[in-house]
Amino acid sequence: MQERVRLSDAQINRDLLRSIFETPKWYWFLVAFLGLVVLAGFTAAGYMFNQGLGVTGLNRPVMWGFFITNFVFWIGISHAGVMLSAILRLVQAEWRRPATRAAEVLTVFSLMTAMMMPLIHAGRPWRVMYWVFPYDFARGVYPNVRSALVWDPAAVFTYLTSSILFVFIALVPDIAVLRDRTTGWRHVMYSVLSLGWRGSVRQWKLQLIAGILLSAIILPIFVSVHSIVSWDFGTAMSVEGWHSTVFAPYFVIGAVHSGVSAVVTVMIALRWVFKWENYIRMEHLDALAKLLIVVATGWFYFFILEFIFGLYSLEGPEVALREMQVFQMPWTALFITFLLCAYFIPVPMWLIPKVRRSIPLMIFTTILVNIGMWLERFIIIVPGLARKQVFTFTWGGYTPSAVEIVIVIATFALVSMLVLLFAKVFPLIPIGDAKEGMILYDEIKIGKVMVPAVMREE
Amino acid sequence: MHEPHHPVQASYLRMTAQEITQDVIQRHESPGRQFWMVTSVLAGLLGLGIIGFIILLSKGFEDRNAWGYYATTFAYIFTAAQSAVLISVALRMVKAHWRRPIARISELFAAVGLFTFLLLIPLLWVLPVTTGRRSIWFEWPGHSPHLWDTLALGLLVVCGLALLYFASIPDMAAVRDHATGARQNRYRRMALGWQGSLHQWKKLQVGISLLGGFYFILLIVVHMLISVDFAMSLVPGWKDAIFPAFHAITGFQSAVALTIVTMSILRWKTSLRRYIEADQFWGLSKLLLALSLLWFYFWWSGFFTYWYGRQPAEQSILKFLMFETYKVPFILAFLLCFVTPFVILMWNFVRKTIWGPTLAASIVLVGTFFNAIRFYVPAYSIEDSSLHFLETLPPANTPGGVDILIIIGGIAGAVLVYMLASRVFPIVSTWELKEGLLLQRVRKLMKIQIKVLAKPE
Amino acid sequence: MANKSVLGLFDNADTAADATDVLLEAGCAQEDFDVLTGSPYPEGAFGEKNPKHHIYVFPLVGALMGLSVALLLTAGTQLAYPMVTGGKPILAFPAMTIIGYEGTLLGAVIFTILGIIFESRLPRPKLDPYDPRITEGYIGLLVTCTEEKVDVMEQALRRGKAVDVIHEKGRAL
Repeated sequence: MQERVRLSDAQINRDLLRSIFETPKWYWFLVAFLGLVVLAGFTAAGYMFNQGLGVTGLNRPVMWGFFITNFVFWIGISHAGVMLSAILRLVQAEWRRPATRAAEVLTVFSLMTAMMMPLIHAGRPWRVMYWVFPYDFARGVYPNVRSALVWDPAAVFTYLTSSILFVFIALVPDIAVLRDRTTGWRHVMYSVLSLGWRGSVRQWKLQLIAGILLSAIILPIFVSVHSIVSWDFGTAMSVEGWHSTVFAPYFVIGAVHSGVSAVVTVMIALRWVFKWENYIRMEHLDALAKLLIVVATGWFYFFILEFIFGLYSLEGPEVALREMQVFQMPWTALFITFLLCAYFIPVPMWLIPKVRRSIPLMIFTTILVNIGMWLERFIIIVPGLARKQVFTFTWGGYTPSAVEIVIVIATFALVSMLVLLFAKVFPLIPIGDAKEGMILYDEIKIGKVMVPAVMREE
Repeated sequence: MHEPHHPVQASYLRMTAQEITQDVIQRHESPGRQFWMVTSVLAGLLGLGIIGFIILLSKGFEDRNAWGYYATTFAYIFTAAQSAVLISVALRMVKAHWRRPIARISELFAAVGLFTFLLLIPLLWVLPVTTGRRSIWFEWPGHSPHLWDTLALGLLVVCGLALLYFASIPDMAAVRDHATGARQNRYRRMALGWQGSLHQWKKLQVGISLLGGFYFILLIVVHMLISVDFAMSLVPGWKDAIFPAFHAITGFQSAVALTIVTMSILRWKTSLRRYIEADQFWGLSKLLLALSLLWFYFWWSGFFTYWYGRQPAEQSILKFLMFETYKVPFILAFLLCFVTPFVILMWNFVRKTIWGPTLAASIVLVGTFFNAIRFYVPAYSIEDSSLHFLETLPPANTPGGVDILIIIGGIAGAVLVYMLASRVFPIVSTWELKEGLLLQRVRKLMKIQIKVLAKPE
Repeated sequence: MANKSVLGLFDNADTAADATDVLLEAGCAQEDFDVLTGSPYPEGAFGEKNPKHHIYVFPLVGALMGLSVALLLTAGTQLAYPMVTGGKPILAFPAMTIIGYEGTLLGAVIFTILGIIFESRLPRPKLDPYDPRITEGYIGLLVTCTEEKVDVMEQALRRGKAVDVIHEKGRAL
């Protein structure tokens, strides 16, 4: 059943702008705490730049560790935004309304964070310019477009630019609401940002077209970004378990799995923090959980494909790698935890309707998914590198150092802090969308019951 | 007066429940002369196919190369018809109201499963044992694929038929209530005492969704088994983790195309125009566009990894399947499965017409046939599947007279089964339309007429 | 002869929709009034004119430009520094496709955004006549007419049960 309440436009404004006009006491404490963690991360990174990559646990032959895992993880989270807002916009799902902005904003901030990871990993980030940007006219040395390490920045840059622009265009009508309700310097700021929006017929029409059209264009970008990230691995010949044709869709759907879960976590947090019970309702969690069952099962299918066809060739090194992943400690423990967290605990739970409508259980399952999906990336990246191969004479293992752990923790604090700060300046639930939902909401009387209904333009 | 920007679609919403039942049942009782003319022509073509099959059979099972086009025909019919059932399952799952008039059209393809299953049987003798070559059966006995693939396809067919039967019970009860004599008796038995009580409706809904979910999972599994056992594992050095998923995607793509073409023919030749409207074509064409893009994406993921790797085994697979030996079917599949439908369907105004989706769907149906050729014919042209990789590429197998007879006969047979099945089960699901009458309204909002869709949980 | 705008505010959408009939009777053409709302209404709900736009041209142009720039960049830089890597040709099309693809879509997105802003006739330096109550749920009927008809239109708006009528303060557009 739906628990919808009819709300007036003024009420919607009051509720959804609460995050901007009211500051609870804990808010600045929380921001300051997260800021400290971020600061610790930057300090650790600075220390590492000064001392060199030797302070990390990276070692021959494991040159990719926590940083790259974290990079892939945050790219994955960033896929929530487009998955939810673009696909649900295109299929005109009513229950998308409260989720789109949070998802898009999460996309932007997690992408920024993700982009920092390879920069930090490079050890000398200023050098990255030489590999990525075609600018060195004086010497005529240009980056190699045949390298996956050049495609990656191109794709992430495209995705980041598009998501920022997408968020901005969708924000314009909401900024106009803020403009009408503020005074002083904030009024000036919102006036400039709202571009003089008045809500005329033409402006709304184009706003709606923008939602659909940009969704349709960003969708192929979203697919390409994680595919290209997967080709960082897929195009590498010498590492067992990486050269698999299924990597692109496998990574994409895994990203959607972790991303949608993260959006659910964030939405529940927002509902609790800003008292948005009337907007983020149980029916939304229910619908998202059902979506997650489908996505998780799709992901699991690709996981099975990847695993079976890893073994399919029956070549010694491949089989040995799978053996290591599954049967050697500590990988066994990680592997089991990963499977339980990413699939076998949450999905059966979501099949139970009561779980889908329970806030603590939804928080629990979605966080579990992201623990599992972080481990998934780790298990893909490190064992393949760590396995002893012919002609590798220095052969070290990999244990993450304190520097790496601090930096990884700091990225989580960074994204949370940025989302909190964003909520202070712009509404995290699209106001115009919520109002439109109220206009299009209707009821149909069938016999003795009123069934919720929605008006639909053809 | 002010003209509404969008005239409200779905003219069946202006009919009453009785009118709908009368109309559909009447058509179901007397299909007209043309129907029987077409079925006899199809039966004739099927006869030609049987002749071709007997010639092929007389040469025995040893020469695998001769069976390439037979396997292609089997795979083509399987991918299109068996996946078509999924359209109604998936659209029912997401509660799309526009699916109502076309749900049965796609479900009815479950009946073709019987024919697909018959086609599989001779192939079991052609398929070599898995001992000594790569397969997904690893250390299992050599006849594992013969056993398990048959069982899986059989289960899928049974599940599809059960779904079709279950979903038609209320309609068969309607036929029973309108018929007399022997026909009434027959449908009385088939309707299993359906009265339409609340309890029965509840059971029906649960049954349909369970069978649908089960069908979905089975279909993915069968796609994986057939694509690997009957194509990929026969080619040495072809290790392609994405191939089963690609096979399933082409299945969905040809399923959507098949449904669109069927809808078009029904609109053109029968009185069902008032049910099958631009709304349905619009909905399905968006799916077809998405699947055409996915065709490219899944193909590219596989191709790109191989191209980049530069490993001899993978390079020879690329040459064999795409760029040298079977270049022609590959290029045709690429153009007809991806490029043309994309160029046609990227325009929303084209998607909202009848001709646009029909044209694109017809092209896709031809394209997916070449897509089947480019995997199955090469796979059967390799003599020794136990090699490590393809060092020398075998020559291309071009279709001969017998192959063409089999292709024509096979496709005609599948269409014939479908048409005959439509004699048993009404081709439009009246109970879903009547449910649609309850859950959809047209009402006035200020100055326009607008459709209101109920979203019950 | 300068044109002036006058804005009638309505506290409910049905009244506003009915008021458009009064406006038409008073001699206001369908293209001379606009509706300002705080949220999108289904098209034509107020009996307003359907605005024309060419937004779909923008992504196509952007995509073409993005593709050309990406191809020039990839081909140009590789030809300028021809070094064979990984046994692949200097102009390796599958690899160039990837940058080309991203360039195409980046161009399409940027042009779409520009197109949306341009076609929405934004940015707009002044709001006048406008009222903050519009974002609170009020409906504004904005009539643009010649200076001498302003009074006629104001009366028509009031007859249509406008709760308030606001005149343009600044100079004529």
